[in-house]
Amino acid sequence: MTGLRTHPLPKYLSIARVSAQEAIAYRFSTIVGVVTIFIWVLILYFLWQAAYAGTSSMAGYTWDDMRTYVVLAFGINAMVGWRVGYVMMATVRTGNVVIEYVRPLNYCLTQISRACGYCLVEGLVSLVMCLLVGITFVDIELPSSTASAFLFALSLVLGLLTKALFVFLVSLLAFWTVSGLGLMWMQQAVIQVFSGTIVPLSLMPDWLRSITSVLPLRGIVSTPLTFYLGKAEPLDAIGLLGMQVAWVVVLFVLANAAWRRAFDVAEIQGG
Amino acid sequence: MGAVITAEALTKRFRRPVKQAGLSGSLKHLVRPRYTEVTAVDEVDLSIEAGESVAYVGPNGAGKSTTIKLLCGIIVPSAGRVRVCDVEPHRHRSRNARNISVVFGQRTQLWWDIPVIESLRLIGDIYSVPAADYERNLAEMVDVLDLAPLLDVPVRQLSLGQRMRCDLAAALVHSPTVLFLDEPTIGLDVAVKAKLREFVGLMVRERGLTLMLTSHDLGDIEQLCPRLVMLHSGRVLYDGPYAELTRRFAWETKITSTLAAPPGGRPEEAAADILGVTRAELHDLTTLNVWFDMRVTTYGAVISGIVDRFAISDISVEEGDAEDVIRRLYSGDLKFSTEDVS
Ligand SMILES: Nc1ncnc2c1ncn2[C@@H]1O[C@H](COP(=O)(O)OP(=O)(O)OP(=O)(O)O)[C@@H](O)[C@H]1O
Ligand SMILES: [Mg+2]
Repeated sequence: MTGLRTHPLPKYLSIARVSAQEAIAYRFSTIVGVVTIFIWVLILYFLWQAAYAGTSSMAGYTWDDMRTYVVLAFGINAMVGWRVGYVMMATVRTGNVVIEYVRPLNYCLTQISRACGYCLVEGLVSLVMCLLVGITFVDIELPSSTASAFLFALSLVLGLLTKALFVFLVSLLAFWTVSGLGLMWMQQAVIQVFSGTIVPLSLMPDWLRSITSVLPLRGIVSTPLTFYLGKAEPLDAIGLLGMQVAWVVVLFVLANAAWRRAFDVAEIQGG
Repeated sequence: MGAVITAEALTKRFRRPVKQAGLSGSLKHLVRPRYTEVTAVDEVDLSIEAGESVAYVGPNGAGKSTTIKLLCGIIVPSAGRVRVCDVEPHRHRSRNARNISVVFGQRTQLWWDIPVIESLRLIGDIYSVPAADYERNLAEMVDVLDLAPLLDVPVRQLSLGQRMRCDLAAALVHSPTVLFLDEPTIGLDVAVKAKLREFVGLMVRERGLTLMLTSHDLGDIEQLCPRLVMLHSGRVLYDGPYAELTRRFAWETKITSTLAAPPGGRPEEAAADILGVTRAELHDLTTLNVWFDMRVTTYGAVISGIVDRFAISDISVEEGDAEDVIRRLYSGDLKFSTEDVS
């Protein structure tokens, strides 16, 4: 009746597993969500193509680099999609958070596990889209070396954690405001700009770049792609990875503190 | 180990924003927020032994759900002490979570979009229930609650009754010591209600589960809970056997007799002479209503007193059962008076 199991799964792994199943149950909207994001890839592709018409390189990015950047940036951003934030916010707003609260779980870790589960499915769809668009149409480059592929993978995982934590923090605002949808849109926009999804950091105006380069959100897209394209010297690489790790730790501590406070301040609604 | 649940002067006050209607009201609130305090739970004392089944009743807004949330550690008390299985719920939430389980009738703890069995398994994983225990436990619940056809269905496709049955199973996957049920039978049909009660009763008897149940359905209470705690405006008004409720609040009861012929003289005064009778009224020439104090006399004594004095063709007594008492308490027909006049 229940498959053959001899031991219970570790609890957070089990949550991730069920979340992945949930994303599969909603495969249609998952796929639509990712595909929609790729419409942006096309728009930006043509914009950049026009911009590169008279020049071979901008701020160190060749046209080959830029094409690759555009596809992968949106591909990465699609990996932790809207569903995580949406679900987190919904549980807070409907008061269903109560149910998750009466479990021997760390709430923040629970949400991260959930994000990981969704990410598995959304990431797979996104990977397929990247390959599809990347190979048939945009002709993206491969990682510049084995080392950079490895750094990219490591940095990507840290970036996904960063994004999940950030989305979690924003979703906590749902304890205080009624406008969940507004928050979601705002969060989306902030992430796209400050992660470097729309424009690489080195092409930003100085004032914006100086802000963006110290914020955690660059770790979501910009940092992994810097590794992928082989644009980081070894010493820079250590600094960038160190910064990602530091931000994940800081955000985790912050998220836990904020969660406790949010839960204590805003009494749970209804019933 | 003594009491499983204890509360001493347990109090919860909520701060509720006072907003005037309209945009200007909202703006005023932004500038200078004002709050009123609502005391949802007011110095509640409780002591529940292992294996007891207690009904927690009271009109809407009495503070029942708030008490349950305090006992689950979901909210922090404003004052007083609370312990569940020797743990302070709000201080050691995770530890408390292993001892208890809670079902809120209008919420589900199952994952909406995946088959029920996956949610159950997840809950087993969360509590690290050993695989063998999990299987045995589940098999029993599937059997009693008749869940087999439901296990592979996503929760969103279940009817309310089907979902509640699954939710109840989900609550017991980790074999908790204490089970809180907050209006578990709300909106269910008679057959499903009966099945749920039977199941909960079985779990209480077989596993020694301690049960605390809130419900507006007195059938739930009558079948499951020998002990009843009544709450009104956050205060405990009554704590004792379900059956004793009548004696406590509805000590005045009525006997209606139909007289064989219109009586002469002063029948009201004659009836009032019977020991324990508090008042009597004559209607429509032959209908005599007699009220008496059940604490000082009995139906038998009053009836024989009436028969001695009048020629009777028919007699009926008012059913003073607990359900009726609770209904009358809620509707204001009986007073929630706390002084005991015996
Ligand atoms: N989060 C909250 N913020 C402010 N007031 C609250 C909150 N939760 C409950 N209350 C108030 O506390 C009181 C008790 O509510 P509670 O939900 O405990 O009642 P109840 O006995 O469960 O009622 P019902 O039978 O309707 O479920 C009510 O007056 C309610 O308005
Ligand atoms: Mg309630």
